[in-house]
Amino acid sequence: MAMLLELAGVSVRFAGLQALIDVDLTASGGEIKAVIGPNGAGKTTLFNAISGYVPLAGGEIALNGSAIHGLAPNEIAARGVRRTFQNGGLFPELTALENVLAGLHARIDASFVGILFGTRAARAAEREAVTRARQLLDLLGVSHLADQQVKSMSGGQQRTIEIVRAVAGEPPLLLLDEPAVGLAPPVRAQLIELIRRLAGEMGIAVLLIEHAIDLVMAAADVVAVFNGGAKIAEGPPGAIRNDPAVLEAYLGHV
Amino acid sequence: MNRQPEPGAAAHWAGGTRVFYAVPLLALAIPLFANPYTQFVVNLMLVYVLVAVGFNLVLGNLGQLAFANTALFGIGAYTAAMLMVHAGWPFWAAIIPAGIAGAAAGFLASVTALRGIRNYYLAIVTLAFGELLRWTYIHGEVATGGTDGLAVPRADFLGIVLDSETARFYVFLLIVVVMVKAISNLLQSKVGRAIVAIRDNELATASLAIPTGRYIVLAFMLSGFVVGVAGSLFAVLLGQVVPESFGLIELILHFAMVLVGGLGSLFGSVLGAVALTALPEFFRGFPGLYEMFFGGLLIVFLLIQPRGLSALCAKAWPGLRDRYFRDR
Repeated sequence: MAMLLELAGVSVRFAGLQALIDVDLTASGGEIKAVIGPNGAGKTTLFNAISGYVPLAGGEIALNGSAIHGLAPNEIAARGVRRTFQNGGLFPELTALENVLAGLHARIDASFVGILFGTRAARAAEREAVTRARQLLDLLGVSHLADQQVKSMSGGQQRTIEIVRAVAGEPPLLLLDEPAVGLAPPVRAQLIELIRRLAGEMGIAVLLIEHAIDLVMAAADVVAVFNGGAKIAEGPPGAIRNDPAVLEAYLGHV
Repeated sequence: MNRQPEPGAAAHWAGGTRVFYAVPLLALAIPLFANPYTQFVVNLMLVYVLVAVGFNLVLGNLGQLAFANTALFGIGAYTAAMLMVHAGWPFWAAIIPAGIAGAAAGFLASVTALRGIRNYYLAIVTLAFGELLRWTYIHGEVATGGTDGLAVPRADFLGIVLDSETARFYVFLLIVVVMVKAISNLLQSKVGRAIVAIRDNELATASLAIPTGRYIVLAFMLSGFVVGVAGSLFAVLLGQVVPESFGLIELILHFAMVLVGGLGSLFGSVLGAVALTALPEFFRGFPGLYEMFFGGLLIVFLLIQPRGLSALCAKAWPGLRDRYFRDR
C-alpha cells in the first residue's frame, strides 16, 4: 500500500519537555490506525504536529510525498488533513448544517465580488454547498439535527457532527482525537460503525486517539502505542495486547 | 438573498428580502412630511446605520473587542473634508477615499489583533489609537484646522447639489442601501460564516482549511471601509469636522447602538442606530434629563433583553432573523 502520511524522526519540545521523541509513523488510505498510550504519552501532540498546530523540533512530515511540516494549520487542512478536537471543536452558536458548511468552505466556488453583489453564480454555489451538506448529514444518519444549534445537542450528537464536518472536505486523512469520550455504550457502537464506514467506504486514512481499549480493539486495523513521547510498539490489535513493553507502560513492572 | 428558498438555510431572511427593500422604499416618502430639522435627524440616522453596521462586523460577528470605531469614523470624516477643502475634490469623489482611509486604519487594528493582542488588550490599544488620532486632529492645524476643525464646502453628488436636507437624504439613502445590502450578502455567504466561525472557535476554523488570518484582516478592513464612508457623510451633513465629534462619548454611543440592536445582527445594528439617534430628540426640551434617561434605559434594556432589539423582533417575525444570529 502506498503511504499517504509519513512521519520520520519527528520531535516536539515544549520549554524543556520532550513531548515527542523521534517518532516514525505512517498512515494509508482505508486503514484505521489507533494511537494509544497513557496520559501525557504525546498522542494529542502528535495530532497537533501533523495538523500544524505545534512546530517541530526535528524530523519531517510528508503527505503524498511532499513535506507539510512548517505549513500553517489551514494550509495543511487545504492539502487534505482534517481533524477533530479532544475538547470539542464545533462552532456552538451555529447549527449542525452551518458547521458542516464551514467544513465545505474551500469547495464553495464564489468570488468575493460575486458574493458582495449577490450574483447568480455566487448564490448557486452556496445553494449547491447546502445540498451537499444535507447529503452528508443524511449519509451519516444525523439529518434530523441539521437545523439545530450544536450547543443544544448531546455530547454524542456533537461528536458525530464534528466528524461529519471533518469529512465534508473529503480529506484523504482524518485525525480523530478521543471521539468516544463520554459516550454511552450504544452510541459508542454507532461511532465504531461510522469510523469503519469512513475507512471502508470512503477510503479515508484514519488516525484514532482513544483510551477505551474495547473500542480500539473493535475498530482499529493497526495499533501504535506511545509512552513518554516515544512510540514503543506498533502492530495488529491482537499482538499489541500481549506486547511486554505495552503491558509495562500501562501497568508498570509486574 | 434567497429568492428561491434554499434547500437548507431554514427560513432566514425568507421574508427579509421584501422587508429589506420595503423599508427604504417607504422611507422615500419621508421628505414629503418632514420639516428640515426632522429630515436632518433622519439623515443622521442613516449615517449612524453605517456606523453601527460597520462596528458590529468586528464587535459582533468577528467577536473582537476593538474600540477603534470613532477613530475610523473620524478618519473618514477628516479624509473627505481635507480632500474637499485642501484639494478641491467634489464630495462624490471623496467618499471612496474616505472608505479606503477607514479600511487602512482597520488594517492597522487587525495587525495588532493578528499579533495576539486580544480582548482587554485589544480594547485598550484601539482606545489609545482613537485618542492619539484626536490629538493629531487638534495639533495638526495646517491640515485639520486644529480645535476649530474644517468647514466643509458645499457638496455635490454627481451633479446634484446637496444644499438641502432633502437632497442629502436621497443621496445618503442610496449609499446606505447599497452598502447594507452588500454587507448583508457578505454575511450570509461563506465569508460571513468564516468570520462567525472564527469568533466561535478560531483553532477549529483553521482546521477546516479556512485562512483565519486573512478573514480577520478582511473583517477589520470592511468595518473600517463602512465606518469611513459614514464619516464622509457625517462631514457633509454637519458642514464641519471638529475633533470633539470623535471622542469617548461618541464611542459609547456607537457601542450602545450595536448592543441595543443586538450583537452580531445586521438588522439589529440598523434598528439600534435608528432608535438611539431618535431617542435624544424626545428629550430636547429637558436638558440634563437625556443623559440620565439614556443611561437608565440602556441598563434596563440590556438586563431584560441582552440579545437586543433584533432578538425581540425575530421573536415576533421569524422571517426577520439574520443568519448566524440566534435570539437565545
